[in-house]
Amino acid sequence: MSVIDKKTLEHLAELARIELNEGEEEKLLKDLKNILGYFNELKELNTEGVEPLSGGVAEVNVFRDDVPDLPSEASAQAGRASDTGKGKNQFPEVEKGYLKVPPVFE
Amino acid sequence: MFTLHDLTIKKVHDGLLSKEFSALELAKEFFEYIAYKDKEVGAYLTLDKDGAYVMAEKTDIAIAKGEEIGVLSGVPLAVKDNMLIEGLPATAASKILENYRAAYDATVIEKLKKENAVFLGKTNLDEFAMGSSTENSAFGITKNPHDLKRVPGGSSGGSAAAVAAHMAVAALGSDTGGSIRQPASFCGVVGLKPTYGAVSRYGLIALASSLDQIGPLTKTVEDAAILFNAIRGKDEMDATSVDLNLESGIWNLEKVRKLKIGLPKEYFVAGLDKEVEKAVQNAIDSIKSLKIEFKEISLPHTKYALSCYYIIMPAEASANLARFDGIRYGSRAKKAENLPELYKKTRGEEFGAEARRRIILGTFVLSSGYYDAYYAKAQKVRRLIKNDFDETFKEVDIILTPVAPTPAFKIGEKTEDPLSMYLSDIFTIPVNLAGLPAISIPVKTELPVGFQLIGKPFCEADILSLGQFYEKISI
Repeated sequence: MSVIDKKTLEHLAELARIELNEGEEEKLLKDLKNILGYFNELKELNTEGVEPLSGGVAEVNVFRDDVPDLPSEASAQAGRASDTGKGKNQFPEVEKGYLKVPPVFE
Repeated sequence: MFTLHDLTIKKVHDGLLSKEFSALELAKEFFEYIAYKDKEVGAYLTLDKDGAYVMAEKTDIAIAKGEEIGVLSGVPLAVKDNMLIEGLPATAASKILENYRAAYDATVIEKLKKENAVFLGKTNLDEFAMGSSTENSAFGITKNPHDLKRVPGGSSGGSAAAVAAHMAVAALGSDTGGSIRQPASFCGVVGLKPTYGAVSRYGLIALASSLDQIGPLTKTVEDAAILFNAIRGKDEMDATSVDLNLESGIWNLEKVRKLKIGLPKEYFVAGLDKEVEKAVQNAIDSIKSLKIEFKEISLPHTKYALSCYYIIMPAEASANLARFDGIRYGSRAKKAENLPELYKKTRGEEFGAEARRRIILGTFVLSSGYYDAYYAKAQKVRRLIKNDFDETFKEVDIILTPVAPTPAFKIGEKTEDPLSMYLSDIFTIPVNLAGLPAISIPVKTELPVGFQLIGKPFCEADILSLGQFYEKISI
């Protein structure tokens, strides 16, 4: 396990799409070093051959038929997420009925 | 006239049936009290008088018509602000969702609306449920009603404080690493984290999807059972919810006496606060007086649970919070020239410090070169922790432990050092990693302290039954 440095932190912020300001980098780096230092205790534990557990209790896969969940009248009334109209209402910027985002291509 | 301080779900139901008060009168009384009391506590982020009155009237009409009403009909509830109620804000206490209005009802809300429950409002939390004190909210702190200098715990601190201060009869919270049970312990109320999969997570703003569960915060164990039974069940909108064939009844004393209780030595260690030690010992003595068998047990991997959790939870959080990008909903940074800049500015400006810290930490443990050492390792440790419980539950039916190592701490005491804050969840975290049900039940002390009963998967009835018998003899 390795110690995190400023360069790694900047790379992580880039991956996570978070702009960090100069002042907070130092505190964040200190906190992360502390937390990662605590994790070192895991090194002493032998986990060879142990099956990883991703969560859940039942640990069975859940299948369903691959059918589109289009907004039916009933689901629109029930306000299900597939009701695209309601989702659209949350969009931060709209112009002449179009959803607006900054340019994607330079 | 009735007093809000005495009201439980059961008592509201009886009062409505005997026409001691109407549901509308009751709702109005609550809002009046909240207007006065919440100035000092700060439990609520949003109140919904209009919605509450509409729901209350449904109950009053049903009663006037002589129709039968359910036990939750007309009961005033509070809901943690990371669950969706259509048309109301759902901020998760984050600036990034400040102007968001829920487009649909969470499944738990849909179920409670069918019962004609009354939602008074949405309660404060740590941003995206990341914290143990409700100090990480973007919209102000909540105070512990028992001592206003102290935190109510977290992250469901608003819900716990609302119930403790009698500003709601009961509330919904969510629990990822102790976020229902720890604030319940700090505020002197009952808090149940159900088995993973027992309650649908649809419409709960996700923190860590393999750990999150919705559950009740109430004044009595009986109320917790009522609310749990109303919200549980398989839901097609949450693939991890489980078709339960569990018994919802409450055991009689004869059956409760057959339950064997384990005391894990790893949870009763040096460093445990004296008040907590005393309170938990009191609870043990009370339960022993019911002639129930106790046994010392061992959960050897307990000490690794905190590290394991603080790798897995941020990893999942960093993925879940990727959806908050300023594009489809929520706040959007103003001065962005292009798309990458829009993402970075929005997320940099609108997420609070703890959210940013956990996203970065989660990104680190999942990143190339570190994945095996951290994330993959933690998943293996998670298996070992679950195996400990599986083995132990061959010998005992219930495990009794403290909920938190201390009573409620002072406001500001742990905000500078995230690691010290994380340590307040050491006794609750293993339960989420193993997906088990657990309940926090208050012991009568000056500053509230709770003890925890952990059950086998889907055996909520065991811990709720024992809890109710404990409650009867401890009053």
